[in-house]
Amino acid sequence: MSPRRADTGGRIDRLKTIRFTFDGTAYTGHAGDTLASALLAKGVTLYGRSFKYHRPRGLLTAGVEEPNALVTVLKGEVREPNIPATMVEIHDGLVAISQNRFPSLAWDINAVNQLGGKILSAGFYYKTFMGPVFGPLKGTRFWMFCEHFIRRAAGLGSAGSAKDPARYGRMNAFCDVLVVGSGPAGLMAAKAAADQGARVMLADLEPLFGGSANWSEETIDGAPAADWARRTVAQLAGRDNVRLLPRTTVWGYYDNNTLAALERVSDHKDQPVKGEPRHRYWAIRAKSVVLATGAFERPLVFPGNDRPGVMLAHAAERYANEFGVLPGERIALFTNNDSAYRAAVALKKAGAAVVAIADVRPELSPEMRKLASEAEAEIFAGHAVVATEGGKALSGLKLQRFDMTNGALIGDARSIHADCLLMSGGWSPTIHLASQAGAKAEWNAARQAFLPPKPAQSWIGAGAFTGSFSTAEAIAEGRTAGIAAAGGQSTPSVLPVVEAVPGDPDPAPVFEIRAKGKSFVDFQHDVTAEDVRLAHREGFVSVEHLKRYTTLGMATDQGKSSNVPGLAIMAEALGKPIPEVGTTRFRPPFAPVSIGSLAAERFGDLKPERLTPMHDWHLANGATMYSAGLWYRPMIYGHAGETVEQAYVREAKATRESAGIVDVSTLGKIAVQGPDAAAFLDRVYTNMFSTLAVGKARYGLMLREDGLAFDDGTTWRLGEQDFLMTTTTANAGKVMQHLEYFLDVIWPELKVHVTSVTDEWAGAAIGGPKARQILAACVTGTSVDNAALPFMGIVRGEISGVPVMICRLSFSGEMAFEVYSGAGHGTHVWEALVEAGKPFGLVTYGLEALGTMRIEKGHVTGAEIDGRTTARDLHLDWMLSKKKPFIGSAMMDREGLIASDRLELVGLIALDNRPFNGGAHIVEEVDEANPHGSIGHITACCYSPALGRHIALALVKGGKARQGTRAHVSDPLRNRFGPVEIVSNHFFDPDGSRMHG
Amino acid sequence: MVERQSPEPLSPLEPEFHVGSHGNFEHGVEIILTETRPGSIVQLAAWPGEEKKLIAAIRTVTGLALPDGAGGGLSDGVKSVFGFAPGKFTVADEAEGLAAAFAKVVTPAIGTVTDLSHGRTAIRIAGPKAEWVLAKFFAIDFALPAFPTGAGRSTTHHDVFAQIQRTGADQFDIYVFRSFARSFWKALCHASEEVGYEVQ
Repeated sequence: MSPRRADTGGRIDRLKTIRFTFDGTAYTGHAGDTLASALLAKGVTLYGRSFKYHRPRGLLTAGVEEPNALVTVLKGEVREPNIPATMVEIHDGLVAISQNRFPSLAWDINAVNQLGGKILSAGFYYKTFMGPVFGPLKGTRFWMFCEHFIRRAAGLGSAGSAKDPARYGRMNAFCDVLVVGSGPAGLMAAKAAADQGARVMLADLEPLFGGSANWSEETIDGAPAADWARRTVAQLAGRDNVRLLPRTTVWGYYDNNTLAALERVSDHKDQPVKGEPRHRYWAIRAKSVVLATGAFERPLVFPGNDRPGVMLAHAAERYANEFGVLPGERIALFTNNDSAYRAAVALKKAGAAVVAIADVRPELSPEMRKLASEAEAEIFAGHAVVATEGGKALSGLKLQRFDMTNGALIGDARSIHADCLLMSGGWSPTIHLASQAGAKAEWNAARQAFLPPKPAQSWIGAGAFTGSFSTAEAIAEGRTAGIAAAGGQSTPSVLPVVEAVPGDPDPAPVFEIRAKGKSFVDFQHDVTAEDVRLAHREGFVSVEHLKRYTTLGMATDQGKSSNVPGLAIMAEALGKPIPEVGTTRFRPPFAPVSIGSLAAERFGDLKPERLTPMHDWHLANGATMYSAGLWYRPMIYGHAGETVEQAYVREAKATRESAGIVDVSTLGKIAVQGPDAAAFLDRVYTNMFSTLAVGKARYGLMLREDGLAFDDGTTWRLGEQDFLMTTTTANAGKVMQHLEYFLDVIWPELKVHVTSVTDEWAGAAIGGPKARQILAACVTGTSVDNAALPFMGIVRGEISGVPVMICRLSFSGEMAFEVYSGAGHGTHVWEALVEAGKPFGLVTYGLEALGTMRIEKGHVTGAEIDGRTTARDLHLDWMLSKKKPFIGSAMMDREGLIASDRLELVGLIALDNRPFNGGAHIVEEVDEANPHGSIGHITACCYSPALGRHIALALVKGGKARQGTRAHVSDPLRNRFGPVEIVSNHFFDPDGSRMHG
Repeated sequence: MVERQSPEPLSPLEPEFHVGSHGNFEHGVEIILTETRPGSIVQLAAWPGEEKKLIAAIRTVTGLALPDGAGGGLSDGVKSVFGFAPGKFTVADEAEGLAAAFAKVVTPAIGTVTDLSHGRTAIRIAGPKAEWVLAKFFAIDFALPAFPTGAGRSTTHHDVFAQIQRTGADQFDIYVFRSFARSFWKALCHASEEVGYEVQ
């Protein structure tokens, strides 16, 4: 047993020894220890270096609000910085290191910053880098010079760059009552709500439920409070309607009673079990919330209040009672309220010598005097601590008489030898979640604290959170809150009887002792009382400005211990009461949240994969897959040694010479059904569909309401009231939304249903001079000759025993057919087609060849229908019906949309026979060194095997009129400049003779 | 689709469908995953005011008497039906030919029939941790009182649209788009590792 560890007491398991390292030194602790308690038990006093001045810092607290003892935890190559040592549960193999120091925690070269106190005061950056000129260095340039050194010297821990292999999870939860905090108030609320039959969730950021009951040494119903807590938790754990979430920090309170919580699932384990996440993010939708989040004890502001060995009183009580660890052997206390006396008694009982209690109040109650006597402590009423002594550990302190009515120090200082000074500046209810949920906190003069606002959402407060600091009050309020949150009516009940140390919950209104030396308000950001006053002198009167100028409350602890003292000092400087100065609004998160937990399982490509029915066949047959939105599509089916260009050229050439087959299952497919389906399509498309015969398909164009082109595709009439609409792959979802919007909002009277059937059908497009012969070789039940299957005709038949629909249409410009089968039969049909095509030289082709052939034909895709082009720009004005209105028809003739200098679709041929690049500009000037005067840009390009040239589609100003002229392609980024000929976009077979056969 | 007298359709899950037990068995296998592979999956939609006639047509074809109201549903272990939107229902049957059967009774005056037998993949998750695993994916209250047996819900997981029917106290059938099915299946297996799962 170490010298600071008591033989008995606390929640630790002394039979289980845990081995870990801190800054490379091996230590042992016990199961149940935090890193802080285990190190404290070993006599460690130095835990970190301060943010700005690199002052040595020890433990200030025992919980989540710890501002000083921040460490970096290493797991393999992964490092997680800025974790309070008070929140790290030790486990075998834990590796933690201190941070913001060089070369070591004990000897930190940047401690020299303490000499530059005046320079490094509030507003340092503004004053230094926006004001004076130092020789050639000024403003931003000076900052850039200094930044590297400043970033090395100032800051917290550094994040690593190694990939985090840990798993993170997300969980959605619903409950009637969420209880946040598991102290006596929270436990009672959870029990009362559960008794009402409500579905209850109880969350606490600590590993052990019970809150203050774990360390208060009070009794409840005659037994230690901790035992009462254990019993209550056991009761709750046995109920089906209660979910217990230990190690879970509720960090955000959002609209509609949605709360965010982080569960640290396996941080405390050597290894997570298989599939177990490290952290789990809970999105909790609660009908009602009980906030029983307790209160934070406040430090007092006096010179040297940050020296290692100076600690909050309740923290020391926790270490003694919960972990069996004494923070010092000769302990002094400094307080403005009664709660510290309980700590004095607890520490005395645990074996420490309590040498002095300095209280700013001149008069003390008989109960406090009795407690001091019990602790065998000398009382210094009407005194204040004005200095502390020591280096990396406290060796003593100085007391002086103090007049709390005016803050004056009287007489000579008196030295006291102590290795630990406990301070208590009163308590601030933990109102963060309530503040996030809405209204402004209200100042309570008696408690000298901001109390929770009136609820703006469905929550109820209980216990110390409301300013009711006694356990008896907490239990009573918890019960009432739990019943009310569950929608029940509170009836008189016998409550557990609490035996507690007496005490007045109201502190003296003293926050600062003004004496010589640095007095810290915000420990983590090194903000002193003088910084706050400096901000006031420099004109910062708003509390929001004060926060930003001094950075008070802006560190990872978000000012949990510093906000109220800082505001009080500001108020005094302004000569205003604290409520007039106000407080800042708390925002999520309450405590730092791992980014991994927010991403949870959604990582990597961040998207699910969408696969066609023939996906595995493509992979097995040499396809290089290409990500197209969520879809994966074959890019090429490359042969050994082929480049991408060689492959697509081969595929396109073979298709035009014999036949090719491509997977078109990704095309959007929408069933448009109902008595008004044809009329609806007439309104949706620019051209007429009500005249389309059953068993025929038609190419259609849609505009947006603003008259710009939206999407295109063919729609098949399968029955009088039954259409199969196809869309581009990329726009399938948008078109579906578009149709649903018009049916739901604009024309609800139309009897039309639209349903996505994209996944119902596998699609294979087979094209080329021999395509019809291949089909004839494998299709049964129908003829596929020109009479049975004319251009845009549809037939039904079978391939290899599978029912298929075949439509004769073409994107490649060849005689082509789209063969649709049920998706589950897609591969079967595909294989049958490929087999049937073998004697005819059928090739499989991918997106590259598909794109090549459509460019050769001058067909448009999303590259041209880019949200800026009109039907006329794309030479599709022949599709704009004059017989009927349609979506976009009222807006498509606006002046700007019919101007003669609009970008119009053209074809380009590279006269230097070099490849084009998409996005390259077209210029008229022959000035490679100074390309300017763009007249358009390339939308798609390829090497055309049919033409033997590098060609492109482009949008060019007044393009149609420029056909036959020459210009230049200019692509300075890729060092491409060269002559082009502007031609029609229909490069290949412009009269469609190959397609029509 | 026409009635099937054709080869067995391929499952989109095939390469990732690993029969056997997986994950953490600390507490035994707490999840059973299967693909139910119904012979028919049909979507029915009624015109406003014609819902009751459509519900009657469902009873005629399947024998299942739907409760009136959004989200209600039934399953007899062979046929299942549930409402997933106002006036819209998903019906599944182990046998083929459901669309053709409905086409005879759902007249154009009542509503429409859309065959999705190939387009949707039905995945069943069962076991004491089914609610736990599903809660990782969907912001839906899966507790039995909030989501009673037979009832259906429409929702999404990331970009994957899903319809879910509770077909037992700890059993749910999830209908996802076929093209997303493998991706969703992998995610479901991954999410089930924590509690131990068996693929059957």
